[in-house]
Formats: sequence, structure tokens, C-alpha cells
Amino acid sequence: MDLLGTILWPLKWVVEALLVAFHSLFSVLGMDYDAGLTWVLSIVGLVIVVRAALIPIFVRQIKSQRKMLEVAPQLKKIQDKYKGKKDQFSREAMSRETMDLYKRTGTNPLSSCLPLLLQMPIFFALFSVLNDAQRSQAGVGPLNDSLAKSFGNATLFGDAPLHDSFASQWTKMVAGQDFNAVVMWIAAVMVILMTASQFITQLQIVSKNMSPETKASPMFKQQRIMLYLLPLVFAFSGVAFPLGVMFYWLTSNIWTMIQQFLVIRNMPTPGSEAAKAREERLARKGKLIATDGDVIVVDEPKKPQRQQPVAKNRAKKQSGPKK
Amino acid sequence: MITFLTVLLLLPRNAGVLVLRAYRAVISPLYGDVCRYYPSCSAYALGAVQEYGLVVGSVRAALRLGRCHPWAEGGIDDVPLKRKRRYALTPFGFVIAASHGKG
Repeated sequence: MDLLGTILWPLKWVVEALLVAFHSLFSVLGMDYDAGLTWVLSIVGLVIVVRAALIPIFVRQIKSQRKMLEVAPQLKKIQDKYKGKKDQFSREAMSRETMDLYKRTGTNPLSSCLPLLLQMPIFFALFSVLNDAQRSQAGVGPLNDSLAKSFGNATLFGDAPLHDSFASQWTKMVAGQDFNAVVMWIAAVMVILMTASQFITQLQIVSKNMSPETKASPMFKQQRIMLYLLPLVFAFSGVAFPLGVMFYWLTSNIWTMIQQFLVIRNMPTPGSEAAKAREERLARKGKLIATDGDVIVVDEPKKPQRQQPVAKNRAKKQSGPKK
Repeated sequence: MITFLTVLLLLPRNAGVLVLRAYRAVISPLYGDVCRYYPSCSAYALGAVQEYGLVVGSVRAALRLGRCHPWAEGGIDDVPLKRKRRYALTPFGFVIAASHGKG
């Protein structure tokens, strides 16, 4: 076994176990044992388990974001210090001081690199499980011969194998051989859906959940550019990856989108538009709690001046054209 | 001759620099800021490979990734610089022989 195989072995085992568990669950519930849909739903189940397992990390992140309210004044001080300085060195110094503040106060709002680092091997493990199943090869553990055959031969819409990719069909088409248009169509639709979900996720963050200070930074501009470059990245990977892997990615993207929506709505970044919107929503319900514990209620805007008493005749004249 | 050897010697780490720059340009922005440290893990990896070469730099980067978990405090964590720095960096980040001659 090569080095990468050894590292991926336990993950492949877990991925297979989850896939097989969901597959037998759906089969028991009366779904067709060999159908593509059953296997797709098993992949969706796999995503749900993986993402649900990452929720505690996410909750931790949100908790420290809440704590960030306490250090908001200090954060503001740093941001004021570097206000209007847009050169690279000032930006770096600012990130540095901000990060130091997070550490000192124990309010680091970032999720760390671990969740991503965990997900990438799972992605690769699924990729290699599908790759083996393509040759109807048994996996390393729970995915035995007959299950691997079933997975390998599972098709969507009666015609599109899960292990197939856009690129493989394209090669056949160019070579003038028989090719499978259904695979290409499904891959294309998924690329569009993936791009859309990622686009919405990013747009939510960029347009609503960023403080004005972040928006002024050059990093923001870069992110803005990425927003429009992403479709290319997805189109590229959507062409090369098997449909099964694409289903994992798509489901995961949709999960992120919904999770992001809920977080932006309920725990927005202090100072962002989403935070203002939330404060307004809460204030309307009389539920906004200030940092000192007082309930803040937004009053009707007061009239700036006392209305001058006017004679009846004039009052009629005034009220006429005004309304 | 010595310059040629230096270029050869620096080839692996410059290949690493190219890969990391590509990663930071294409893949990093996909998920935004997540790292609990400054500089971020990928920036740290870039710095480590520039400073220590591909093998040692990669090991240092791996150790840093191991430190970057949700229970870590985070904060500032720079690549420790060598006492004697022999090379210079291009604006892109490639490592080249220092032009002033005295390392």
C-alpha cells in the first residue's frame, strides 16, 4: 500500500461504513437496492453526518463571535488607528494587532484550519471509493464485492452511472465513439447549482456580514474578484469529477449556504449591515439588550420643532399642498 | 558556477513557492478567512518554505497546521527566521541569491 493509501485507509473505511449504513437503511425502507437514487441519498446522508459532526466546532466559533462584542471598543480603537491607511504594511500591522487582541481576550472568531483539513481527505476518500467502485472493486472495509458492484453499476435516470464524469464522456464524443449525453447534462446542471449556491454564500457574507472596515481593505476587493472567478473553478472540477463526488460537494455547499444564512441572520458580525438589520428587528420587538443590560427600544423619530400655532385660514392653506 | 549551483539548490523551494502561491490565489479565497493565527497557515507555509527549503519548511508548515484547531488560542505566530539569512526574495516570493553578496 502506498503512503497516501495508508493515510486514507481509516477515512475510506469510515466513508464506506457510512455509505453502506445509509444504503441498507434506505433499502430496508423499501427503496431499490441497486438504484442510483438510493446511492445518491446515501451520499447525501454521508454529507449530513460529516457536517453535523462539525457543528460543535461551528458553535464554538459563534460563541467566540458573541464574546467579540465585549472587545468591540478595543477593536474599534485598532481600526481607527489604521483608518484610511490602505497600503500593504498598514493592513498587515492591523491584522497583526487584531489577532493579538483576539488572543489576549480569548475571543478568536475564526474557525481554524482543522475543519477544512478534515473535509479534504473525506472528499478524496469518497473519490477513491467511487473510483474503485467504478471497476466494481470491493473497498477496504464494509463495502464488499456485491455492494461495490451495486454502487459501480448504479445509474441515474436509468442511464447515467454515478462513477462517470463529464470529461470521460467528452473524450468519447470527440473520438467519435458512443457517448452518454445524460452524464454530461447532469454534470452541467450540477456545476450550475454548485456555482449558484457558492455564489449566494459568498454574496451573503460580502454584502451583509462585513464591517465597513473590512470592506475598505484590499482583501475585500480580492474576494470580490473571486466571486466572479468561482464559476470557472467549478466548471473545471465539475468536468473532471465523477457524478458521485459532485453530489457530495453540491450537498455540502448547500449545507454551508443554509448554515451561513442562519448565522448571518442570528449572529452577525458586529458593525455589519446584517448586525444593524438584526438590531432593528429586535428593537421593533423590544428585545434588544444593550451591553449594560438595558433594554433598548427604538422610539418614533421625534419631531425636531414645535409646531407653530397658525390661524385657521392659513392652516387650511398649508395642509392643502403639503399632502 | 556558484550562481548556477545556487539556482539548482533553490529550485525545490521555488517550486514549492509556485505551488503555494497558486494555492493562495485560487483555493484560499474559496473559503475565506478561517485561520486562527496571523499569518494564516498558508502564508506561514509560504514563509517557512522560503526560509527553510521545501523539506524542513513543509514539516514546519505541517506542525503549524496541527496547531491550528478550534481549541487553539491563535494569535501571532510568525515563521522563526534564521539567524543568518543568505537569500533574498523577489516581489512574487521566489527565493534568489542575495544581490549584495554578503550574506
